[in-house]
Amino acid sequence: MAAEDAGSLEDGGEDLDPRAALAADERGLLEAFDRLRPQGTLRWHFDDAVRRLTESPETAGRTAGWGGLPADLWERGRSTKASERVLGDVVKIVAQDVTEYTDRAVDEGRQLSADAVAELRASVRDAVRFLSARVDRLEASVDPLGIQAAELDLPAVDGSAWVDAAAGWTAGRSDLPVLMGELGDDGLLTALAGGGAMVEGVDPRGTVVWAADAAFEVGFGRIDIALAEVVDHLSSLPDASRGCVVLAGCVDRTDLARKVDLVDEARRVVAPGGTLVLLVTDQSAWDEALDPVVRDLLPGRPLHPETWRTVLSHRGVGGATWHRPSHGSVHAIVAEVGR
Amino acid sequence: MSGIHLFVPMLHRRDAVGEHTRALRELLVADGVDCRIYIETPDPDTVDETRPYLEYADDAAPGDVLVYQMATRSAMAGWLAARPEPVVVNYHSITPAGWFAPWNNWIARHQAAAMRELSNLAPTAALGIGVSEFDAGELRAGGCAEVVVIPVANVRLPPTAPDPATVAALERRAGDGPQWLSVGRLAPNKAHQDTIAALFVARATTSPDARLTIVGSPAEPTYARALRRYAAGLGIGEAVEFASRLSDAELAARYATADVLVMLSEHEGFGVPLVEAMSHGLPVVAYAAGAIPEVVGDAGVLLDAKGPRRVAAEVAALLSDAARREVLVIAGRARPAALGLDRAGSDLVAALRGVAGPAADRPDDPTPGVPLRSGAPLSH
Repeated sequence: MAAEDAGSLEDGGEDLDPRAALAADERGLLEAFDRLRPQGTLRWHFDDAVRRLTESPETAGRTAGWGGLPADLWERGRSTKASERVLGDVVKIVAQDVTEYTDRAVDEGRQLSADAVAELRASVRDAVRFLSARVDRLEASVDPLGIQAAELDLPAVDGSAWVDAAAGWTAGRSDLPVLMGELGDDGLLTALAGGGAMVEGVDPRGTVVWAADAAFEVGFGRIDIALAEVVDHLSSLPDASRGCVVLAGCVDRTDLARKVDLVDEARRVVAPGGTLVLLVTDQSAWDEALDPVVRDLLPGRPLHPETWRTVLSHRGVGGATWHRPSHGSVHAIVAEVGR
Repeated sequence: MSGIHLFVPMLHRRDAVGEHTRALRELLVADGVDCRIYIETPDPDTVDETRPYLEYADDAAPGDVLVYQMATRSAMAGWLAARPEPVVVNYHSITPAGWFAPWNNWIARHQAAAMRELSNLAPTAALGIGVSEFDAGELRAGGCAEVVVIPVANVRLPPTAPDPATVAALERRAGDGPQWLSVGRLAPNKAHQDTIAALFVARATTSPDARLTIVGSPAEPTYARALRRYAAGLGIGEAVEFASRLSDAELAARYATADVLVMLSEHEGFGVPLVEAMSHGLPVVAYAAGAIPEVVGDAGVLLDAKGPRRVAAEVAALLSDAARREVLVIAGRARPAALGLDRAGSDLVAALRGVAGPAADRPDDPTPGVPLRSGAPLSH
């Protein structure tokens, strides 16, 4: 080990990608942990910042070296006088020297520049890492228990009342995939896929995801299940990339700030002409179903459907309609995202 | 009176390097060698056993040998490199910075600095002692000319007897499913999350009642918190227990009541828990990284990849094959002797005496035969 190489901040760690050979669900399982790193949280985009700062500076695109004098130069020079030939040789040597020198100088200059940039990038990367750690601590202080949804005995969201309506939600932009944030019963997911669009389900609960994966593995090639927090997953998607987003569960239990995050991200992701659907639990049914411990520990509770309409309108999603369920206790708030 | 003195940044109890250092001091003292432990930062638990390293300048005696227990960054490294006495680097592996960078940049920088210190100190060392061939390789790469491999001196042989009360409590609590055990600090290079992921898959497929106990101090609290959140997020928070600050007998009880030790660490300079598990007759499934292959040898299941399905399948296969398990357990019990752990203490003392020459046990000799490093000043 050369002394100057010793002790890089990037030594070790996950330089290679040992996960490349794993199945997608296994990779998803391991990536769920990556997002728990201070700089891994997608919400703050630290992961992306550090990744870009850690990548090597772009050094490709060297200028083409000088190709040398033409091979037939001597032949071409035969008709000239000897003195002119000597002069030609001298010119040739000088030209070669100058060219080699220029190449060297350009290389060294480029290297110097890369070193200077690398130092700068390292400084910024350090700053981002310290910042990410600080944010992590602040978040931990706001939520000192850090209780996860999967730890709590939450009532399952029964979306069965909306199975028949699901095809209509996806009709506006059936050319784009549908996203279901948190999985309820399999029937709704299947109904969404029935519209012909690719359907992706996202849920932060490992057991739910793997059970759904197993259930849809056979015969449902158009359903893809991911293990992630819904808001994180939404934030990783491009603008206007989904024809319909259906959110359930997460919109009930999170606090108001996170509810607004969900709406904002969903609105960004739904393409014009697409549909945003919130499946929200009736407040009284929610309160009755919840264990007191769970109720105490949850950061939020469901909003009234009219409140949701107000929130949506406030965040730029107008014209949302409230649909009462034919059975069960889950209301649907449906909004077409403006073209 | 000349001696062989030990330098360690901090002397912790229940810490691999700390316990090794204390064990080595006992061995040297028992062998009639004057030996003190010098530290950079005092630990309240051990402050009575140590002295600040800068005080060594007043204590120094001709013929002294200074042994640096190196595993992390310390101002001691540069100070030792400038000392005229022969310095032995007893190397316990520096965790590469990259494992800490996503979690704690301060520690990452600390580790990167430690690697630079190794590169500065190793070429001047009279002897490098790696606790494994893996570590010896790092010493050589750092520039150490003379390197020997002597394993850690603090593995208890025969193993500590399990605490009966803890065994009884664990057996009462255990369900019908297999009990996985993982032992190691909660530090990112230990990759405990991979074990949790594998447990999750095991519970979702072959072993719905499988449980995991992770024994280790939270060396990086952010990482430790993430591990708990991860298990909770996967819905297996109840199946994963975190334990720390166990006595030797309580830890032995964990080994005695578990069905398998799963160790998926990415960087191990030795891996004391592997030897402890094998000594207790606990079969091992481990990822073949760092020194783990040389420590486990053929006495455990070594994995060249550790995807959650693969690990879960290997554990299930091992636990369902009594004959194979028995073969591994027998091989495991023989492993400490094969590694030379039973003579590690005497080998260490002999190696250090070799550097000291005959002077270390001749306190009255006015002209000790300790070789000074070339170029070192004759006075300090």
